[in-house]
Amino acid sequence: MADGGDVPVIGDKPVIERVAARPAEETYRSPGEWVRKNLFPTPFNSFLTVAVGLFVLFSARGLLNFVFSEERGWDAVRTNLRLIFTHAYPEEQYVRVWVCVGVVAVLAGLSLGLFASRGDGLRLRKIANGLNAAAVAIAGGIVLREPSVLVGADGETVRDGDGVVRQSFAEAMTDRWGWWLVAAILAVIALALRRVPERSDGSHPAVRALDFAVGALAVPVISAWVYPWGHYAFADGEFIAEPGRTVAMSTKLPWTVMWVLAVASLIAGRWVRSRVDERALARLRVVVSCTWLLVPFVLYWVVLRDPDLDWDRILTVDMPLALAFGIGGGIVLRWLTKDGIGEFGRISAVALLGLAAFHWVAAFMGWYPMLQKVRISFLLLAVMALLAHNFSGEAAKRRRLVLAWFVITTVFHYFATVMNTPSTVETPTEALIGGFAVTLVVAVFTLMLSFPLGVVLALARTSRLPIFRVMSTAYIEVVRGVPLITILIFFVVILPLFLPANMEISLFASATLGYTLFSAAYLAENVRGGLQSIRRGQYEASDAVGLSTVQRTVFIVLPQSLRASIPPLVGQVIATFKETSLLAIIGVFDILRMANSVIPAQTQFLGIKREGLLFVSLVYWVFSYMLSKQSQRLERRLGVGER
Amino acid sequence: MSISDATVAVSEELAARDDMIVCRGVDKWFGDFQALSGITATIKEQEIVVVLGPSGSGKSTWIRCINRLEAHQSGQIIVDGIELSNDLRNIEKIRSEVGMVFQQFNLFPHLTVIDNITLAPIWVRRKSRPEAEEQALSLLERVGIPEQAEKFPGQLSGGQQQRVAIARALAMEPRVMLFDEPTSALDPEMIKEVLDVMEELARSGMTMMVVTHEMGFAREVADRIIFMEEGEIVEVGTPHHFFTEPAEERTKMFLSQVL
Repeated sequence: MADGGDVPVIGDKPVIERVAARPAEETYRSPGEWVRKNLFPTPFNSFLTVAVGLFVLFSARGLLNFVFSEERGWDAVRTNLRLIFTHAYPEEQYVRVWVCVGVVAVLAGLSLGLFASRGDGLRLRKIANGLNAAAVAIAGGIVLREPSVLVGADGETVRDGDGVVRQSFAEAMTDRWGWWLVAAILAVIALALRRVPERSDGSHPAVRALDFAVGALAVPVISAWVYPWGHYAFADGEFIAEPGRTVAMSTKLPWTVMWVLAVASLIAGRWVRSRVDERALARLRVVVSCTWLLVPFVLYWVVLRDPDLDWDRILTVDMPLALAFGIGGGIVLRWLTKDGIGEFGRISAVALLGLAAFHWVAAFMGWYPMLQKVRISFLLLAVMALLAHNFSGEAAKRRRLVLAWFVITTVFHYFATVMNTPSTVETPTEALIGGFAVTLVVAVFTLMLSFPLGVVLALARTSRLPIFRVMSTAYIEVVRGVPLITILIFFVVILPLFLPANMEISLFASATLGYTLFSAAYLAENVRGGLQSIRRGQYEASDAVGLSTVQRTVFIVLPQSLRASIPPLVGQVIATFKETSLLAIIGVFDILRMANSVIPAQTQFLGIKREGLLFVSLVYWVFSYMLSKQSQRLERRLGVGER
Repeated sequence: MSISDATVAVSEELAARDDMIVCRGVDKWFGDFQALSGITATIKEQEIVVVLGPSGSGKSTWIRCINRLEAHQSGQIIVDGIELSNDLRNIEKIRSEVGMVFQQFNLFPHLTVIDNITLAPIWVRRKSRPEAEEQALSLLERVGIPEQAEKFPGQLSGGQQQRVAIARALAMEPRVMLFDEPTSALDPEMIKEVLDVMEELARSGMTMMVVTHEMGFAREVADRIIFMEEGEIVEVGTPHHFFTEPAEERTKMFLSQVL
């Protein structure tokens, strides 16, 4: 990627010549010809077209009648949007949720601005086709849906002997003028887009896909100011339905701010990109990636949870401890990277690992007390020490290693302290947050934890050392042979019984642990598939230039195998994301439970379940679809330099 | 030592030089199949040795044993005074002294040309990045493709890829270069550009061991030619001796087929 993500250009010639590779498209003289050739080419195909077409039409009609029926209680969803997305996060603290969304919006905007590839762009003609299709679909829907039920002056549906009385077809068509208007507006916009003249160089006018997406996002945001998508009210600790004509200010204002933030950071990202050189951009990429990795922890543990820090303890215990590890470990690592330390350094690192392992054994046997984070710190230091010889020699490299260690220690000790501090946010349930937020939180933490574990398992399974191979294979096969729900119930119900008396584990943590261990086994198999796709020559070449096994794995094998396994990996990500719905079964108030049990239990929406479930499915689908689209983009972009 | 002196005809000037690669009675089996049997040869410093032979004769296996891509089962291989054994430290030391060029190039497809070349110098030789990049650019200059530094291997022609592979091996500043059929996977019009680079390298005084089917290269550049068949060294001699008055029947047969 010569241009940091743009279409790679060497000299003035694009490397990928898409135009030349594209086969000549079949052209049709008229829409009629297209229909004849593609839908009714032979009698049998005509039959299939008609049969399948009728099936589709009837299904669509059924769905439309269901969704738009006067009997539907969509108010149950519209009133409970906040409940569905965050459950009972306290109203007066809600700004914390918006800060989280805002941070993600800014970071997303910045990343896209800095690194998104320009791509082919969306041709206006293509957008016009899409709008036209939408207009036709809306018009079709208007005609397809059965006429509405008549409502009398008293607000009750009119009934006669046969049941409810419906409008006549003509009445229904005129009654739905609002939808006709929407279809007409879309068609007009499409027509206008088609009229945009070709550019002077003869190319089709186009917009960047990203700009289009950002623009399209403005539509729901602006519409919140004019149309009552949802209305929300909270009184006396109860969610109540409140008739309102537009979205509450406490929702539409933050969303507008979020959109503005995203756009502003997108522009800022592009501006920075246009000003800095290749090397600085690469450095920025690393910084932004690291930020993305830290953000979930900061948002959940610091912003949402707002730890009630005990400064006395921090100043007397936590800070000195962190400093001791940071400085002491730094000195050890600096010594280990000294010139000519050779074999002695490696032996010392292994000894350090033994010491770290011993602390864990001691913990299980109860020999002496020690803070958990001290044990983990020793383990981290041992791992760094084992890797240290890769950074020996040059002074700058050694400095970087020590600096990296200091940053790792600081970050780790900070979060270890924060996680062990009680929260100031009080919620009615045990959990801090629920609804879709908990879905996201569990999915994100699961992926962040299971990904490294999966890679390690895959490497172990392909290792030459039998002990690793056997352990990893056993683990993977056992986990893959047990249903996820069993693992979850095990972790939630049985795990706490095995823990030492003074140790507690929250429902959220044990569920995340269960998901992590489950997901890691599947990720490991996907990564292993990628590992096997690497040709033997790559190993031989790495050996021939003298790379060590660790270096070969990190620089040559993993980058290629992870790239090769992107499609199954993203499949696993999507699966994990959807599997979080099992949280509802083990007692977490996740988005599914909102729709399935919480909303139907509210007095004003008693028993209204289907609407909520449909909405929840839609939310799941939107996110899964975005993920799979992103994976396709990623595959295409990383495909550069392959072949 | 006595075996090698008996079988290897070397000029006096060559004989005076230090030994770079010494093989004594090297055997290698793949299962029941004996790929190498009793290979004994000495390659001197700055010598260019071309290994010829029909396919399946064990030439590639031999050359791959010299930097331990394959492990030999008996006999001795000593490279620059270090004996190859199962000791990992010796293997690491030898691999950083011996450069290797493969038939299939084996460039790292996910790294740019310059990163392909600088990776090992930075992480094995512990050079700083600017230093390694400067060296990489001068090596690319030497193999004639300085303008391709930022490209990915997949964007280069076969000949260019092989030249990058040579530059990658040279970046480790090896004492010996091994070439395992470096031109066999190339289109005919690209063979010459690779052979030119190898010739230039030979003139610069590099010790080279080349497995190839390029008779022209063998005749022009080699100090000595080793002919192998069925895992054995059949005949050793100067190009002149080898192409004009081969002693062994099997050598004559081979020459009559390829020339």
